[in-house]
Amino acid sequence: MTTLVSLWDFSLLLCSVALIGVAGLLLARVITEGSARRREEMRRKLLPAMIRGETPDVGNSKLARSVAATLTLELAELVRGTDREALVTAATATGAAEELARRLRSRTAQDRLVAAEALAMFPDYAPAVTKVALADPSPDVRLGAALALAQEGRAPPAGELVRKLGIGTSENSLLMVSLMRDLVKTDPQAVEALLYDLDLPDAAKLAATDALAESGAVDHAPLVAWMAEAAGEDSDLQPRIFRALGRLGHPAGHDAILTGLDSASWQVRASASEAAGRSALKAAVPRLAELLDDDEWWVRFRAGEALARLGSAGRLALHRAAIDPAPTARAAAKATLAERGLA
Amino acid sequence: MTTSAEAIALVVIVTGLLQVAFYIVQLVFAAFALSNRPPVPRGATLWRRYSDQAPPISLLAPAFNEELTVVESVRSLLALQYPDFEVLLINDGSKDGTLVRVIKEFGLERVERYVDDKVGHARIRGFYASPALPRLLVIDKENGGKADALNAGINACRTSLFCAMDADSILEPDALLRVVRPFIDEPNLTVAAGGTIRIANGCTIDSGRVTEVRLPRNFLALVQIMEYLRAFLMARLALGKMQVLTVISGAFGLFKRQRVVEVGGYSHGTVGEDMELVLKLHRHMRDLKQPYRIDFIAEPVCWTECPEDARVLGRQRSRWQRGALECFAKHKAMCFNPRYGRIGFIGFGQILLVDVIGPLVEILGYILVPLLYGLGLLALPWLLAFLSVTFTFGVFVSVATLILEEVQLRRFPRAREIAILALIAVIENFGYRQLSNLWRLQGWWQFLRKQQSWGTMTRKGFGGATAA
Repeated sequence: MTTLVSLWDFSLLLCSVALIGVAGLLLARVITEGSARRREEMRRKLLPAMIRGETPDVGNSKLARSVAATLTLELAELVRGTDREALVTAATATGAAEELARRLRSRTAQDRLVAAEALAMFPDYAPAVTKVALADPSPDVRLGAALALAQEGRAPPAGELVRKLGIGTSENSLLMVSLMRDLVKTDPQAVEALLYDLDLPDAAKLAATDALAESGAVDHAPLVAWMAEAAGEDSDLQPRIFRALGRLGHPAGHDAILTGLDSASWQVRASASEAAGRSALKAAVPRLAELLDDDEWWVRFRAGEALARLGSAGRLALHRAAIDPAPTARAAAKATLAERGLA
Repeated sequence: MTTSAEAIALVVIVTGLLQVAFYIVQLVFAAFALSNRPPVPRGATLWRRYSDQAPPISLLAPAFNEELTVVESVRSLLALQYPDFEVLLINDGSKDGTLVRVIKEFGLERVERYVDDKVGHARIRGFYASPALPRLLVIDKENGGKADALNAGINACRTSLFCAMDADSILEPDALLRVVRPFIDEPNLTVAAGGTIRIANGCTIDSGRVTEVRLPRNFLALVQIMEYLRAFLMARLALGKMQVLTVISGAFGLFKRQRVVEVGGYSHGTVGEDMELVLKLHRHMRDLKQPYRIDFIAEPVCWTECPEDARVLGRQRSRWQRGALECFAKHKAMCFNPRYGRIGFIGFGQILLVDVIGPLVEILGYILVPLLYGLGLLALPWLLAFLSVTFTFGVFVSVATLILEEVQLRRFPRAREIAILALIAVIENFGYRQLSNLWRLQGWWQFLRKQQSWGTMTRKGFGGATAA
């Protein structure tokens, strides 16, 4: 019986605590609504001045620094070039940079991330971002800081960054391709060197490959050679490698693409078909026509799409397949032609 | 006689306590998940950072008899902020002028499309598109229900990810950019992700966007706001953190197409097709013995209109209950089966406790405990313990969820709204909760009778929901 009564008492206690808690939060809301008005007034004073890159006369109060830091976060992404430089000067003068540097050590990961992203734009504070944010306990903050630094051309060397972030091991985000792309802009050779680093995981190398393939900064021949070799390995990354080979369209990758069309994995056959179409690989037409009868729809779709891209030879193959006795290939060819108005 | 009465009360109280304990565990996990949620870049940075790598998405929006709202809905979808997406509006054999309105308004013409045939659905009558709107494809098919329409969309989509939604819901402009995050962060592991659904009743809506968050005046709509807070902010966030999420709302969920095709798409013959799909994905991935993730993201928001009429709400709740029971019955082999790990024990344990046994035992308690106390067969402490599990703990869970919302997300702009919701969190336990259990009991009855219909969901439309 005591237990039952205790249960009732305990539920009443929890209920009361929760109601007191919500009442406290309501009170806090009312109080903060007052400080929100003061922040709004400060914002109205700071905003036009910071947009013009002027140093506003608002003193160096905590409120001014905090509002200036928040405004810097909002405005920095919207301006470029000399406007950005003027904003950085104004933000430094109002103490915003100092405030953001303080937020790099905030207890909230969200605050640390946005502070690191904004602070990377301040040349004087880039070392602080490198030191603090790249060693942050949150992987999201580390990656965000690395991306921001790389975008500004202030990131540490590619090899160091890859190891620090655990790219390809603990860090699997697709954003590593964006990171590599920005690193390529400042030091393409360092990114290319990653391909020949035996200790690096394939995922990191693939991100480097994707970035290098998009840039004209390095000679593509060794890159394609690496990709062709990697394409022959049995790995989950194969479809991405074939797509990259297709984007590059380098003749040195053609043999690998032709081999990919015979792969046992339908994902590889589909991506190799896509690559064949993109790289204008006319030698692939007969095999692509056969793939219109593949068991997997994605392969048939990509093969049809590739044939439609491959000029008259591809279209002829599609028309032939449209009267093929095999119903699957016939349907795929007919639908592909009809969709493109080629029927 | 007294012993039997006490045994009945004990069953009711223990079942209630188990539910309360599970809710408190969920609150703790939700608080942990919210305070440790991955930081998200702001505004323009979010776009710049994610737009490069964001995988293409097909938005599948089934529409049935939505002539009045469909044009506005499509415009709103086409205006979403996402780098590469296609809107597939699936006209599920509407009997009104849904198709004609869309064709006329957007200048569409009949086109051909090569589509997959892996998942089953009713016959497609035609495709409509316009070169001026390359992101829009309308699929006209024979009526087959929402699951059937989504299956047609899955077959027609050409992206590795698809987002299943209701055509009459409103997505926040950056909702896709946010919900895609698990697929960018863990591209090899993530198979599905769901986002928060919020109630738009009372909000100001302009050009298919929620421009001002306000509370509705209708009591039932207010109670549902609290229910959605508990369902999304507490339960789904916590279950996602535990990696035992058993449902992603049909109104807004992002899925890896290939995995969904592997499980045969959405199942026909169930009204809980959204829950069933998630259970099938868990089962499939566990059977394959492959690591995977099904995540819930608190930030992405899809706005929906909730029923303000008790009859319509009752039908909806009976249907949800029936859907949960159908899913449980279909996948009961997973329940407490070590082969399915935490999803078998925690996920199915929760369904068993909250959806299967919960309403039956609670209704039994409402009838028997006061009766037995009145007959002198139960002492006062038994009655108090019963009241604690059905009322006071209920108030605590609701208010604690509201505290979590205010501390972590602060999505209600005015203090007055928090005060109103706190009041609702208390009074919903006296009357509404009991009514809700009756609706769920009705769902149980329909399940036993193998009733399959969806019933009619009458909506005012967002035009009507716009506050003055």
